Amino acid sequence: MEITDKEISHLASLSNFSLAADEKNALKTDLKNILKYISKLDELDVSNVEPTFQVFEMENVWRPDEITPQDASCEALLALTKESLDHQVKVPKVL
Amino acid sequence: MPATPSSKTTADKTSSQNPQKYGLTIGIECHVQLKTKTKLFSEVDNDARGKAPNSCVSPVDYALPGMLPRLNGEAVRLAIRAGAAMNAEINPKSRFDRKHYFYPDSPKGYQITQFYSPIIGAGFIELPSGKKIRIEHAHLEGDAGKLSHYADYSLVDFNRVDTPLLEIVSMPDISSAEEARDYCKELWRNMLFADVTNGDLYNGNMRFDVNISLKKPEATELGTRAEIKNLNSFRSVERAVLYEYERQSKLLDHGEKIVQETRGWSDATGKTTAQRSKEVAQDYRYMPEPDLPPLNLSEDFIQAEYSACPKLPQDYRRDFAKKLPTDTLEVLLDYPLLMSRLSELATDHAAALAYIANLFSSVLLAEENASLLNDKLPEAAKLAELADMKAQNELSSTSAKEIFLKLFEEKHYDKSPRALAKELNLIQENDSAALEALINEVLKDPSTKSAQEDFKNGKEKVLGFLVGSVMKASKGKANPAAVSKLLKNKLK
Repeated sequence: MEITDKEISHLASLSNFSLAADEKNALKTDLKNILKYISKLDELDVSNVEPTFQVFEMENVWRPDEITPQDASCEALLALTKESLDHQVKVPKVL
Repeated sequence: MPATPSSKTTADKTSSQNPQKYGLTIGIECHVQLKTKTKLFSEVDNDARGKAPNSCVSPVDYALPGMLPRLNGEAVRLAIRAGAAMNAEINPKSRFDRKHYFYPDSPKGYQITQFYSPIIGAGFIELPSGKKIRIEHAHLEGDAGKLSHYADYSLVDFNRVDTPLLEIVSMPDISSAEEARDYCKELWRNMLFADVTNGDLYNGNMRFDVNISLKKPEATELGTRAEIKNLNSFRSVERAVLYEYERQSKLLDHGEKIVQETRGWSDATGKTTAQRSKEVAQDYRYMPEPDLPPLNLSEDFIQAEYSACPKLPQDYRRDFAKKLPTDTLEVLLDYPLLMSRLSELATDHAAALAYIANLFSSVLLAEENASLLNDKLPEAAKLAELADMKAQNELSSTSAKEIFLKLFEEKHYDKSPRALAKELNLIQENDSAALEALINEVLKDPSTKSAQEDFKNGKEKVLGFLVGSVMKASKGKANPAAVSKLLKNKLK
């Protein structure tokens, strides 16, 4: 698969990264090599294999609908944020 | 208490003058907040009403490193019950996926949803008109946080993060504004009767996204669609569709293109406005959620939840078809508790049904006391007694209504209608002998003589005055109809 500059920029914006020009080039080379390595798998015919979504073979794991006291208080959680105001998380203006 | 938006139709002149010019194709996505005690993936309070921002939160909601989601089994059960209320197939196998996007309302950087294998498959909602709107599928997902915007910053409240939502996606089977409104209302009723949501529209318990496209009648392909997001009343759904029809048809008339985009609706201006273009498809990089094992539900489990679905509006419509007028029934069908009480009456006190149903529809709804209908309702036996007293003329219409309303007051919970009527001195005098004595007294009174002469000379209007005098003499306790009848006989 061809990795273009445009592709790198797109991936960077999806991941919320800002990249300098030289970083883009380095990443382009890395990504090309990774994909080339992984493409080895294309040699296998998996058309009759169920996709694996989970390796532990667990299913129907759920909990009862009961409110449980949390280890971290809501004050402690809010204190982890960079900035808060009126018990809300303050962020740069969006929209 | 669910808000009941008015269902009055806004007549739109232009579109009703020329309804055939373009065909309307509408599909609706609806987000239903499920009424679980805890959130979908964490063990904290799911009911944040009246609570401080960021007070119903856990480290999972904040997406702290290493925190893992734990699925709420009740949400799975409610989803199945909701599926039953949409006549839908339940997929035994379903699983969760991550939908990635960066926005401050989602600390994880992705939403956990069911993109590839949703829990609910094809179904339908039948409108009161009989038309069936097909459901494409419905899936479970966590809600996002709530943002509020200020001059140069935004604030985020995570209370709503991972509140369980059921997103219900209809097929594009809807073809008018009225039908869009009816679909939303019927879906709301079904979710309310299935008891899977509080159904409080005012507080966003159900939010509608409406996809609208226009095409010329001869066109075979659908036109480009616009999506109107986040409508929270049936009336806004209807108004937004009418507005979009006008907007899009004007563009098409002028040979212009419809842009595929998301639009917002304002109730105040009555207009939709562009929010963001969807021409470049969003790249959400869906991937299976590795932290949640898939669901593989047994047939017994599904069946048990499916049959736990209470009676739905269409069941009541069938039950009451010949017992109540459609108009009355459609008014009452917003209230699940009321409908189950009327069913008890229909079974055990059939004679009382029509009168009581009428009281509920006229008195409570006209007086905007609708909130009473969601709390505690008087027992069927009490309602039957009230209806009986009215039928026996022991109570006037006015007194019966008065007692009916009193039955909802907490201080009167343990009183019967008869006890209340006695306490309030409202029982009518029907005993002919007693009434006759009263009438004789009034007729003897010289001040009524000229009225009596007038009546005998054919001026029947004065009967009202005479009845009124008897009523006064009885201190309001005489049955006016009985008095009137006796008076007429006497004066003949």
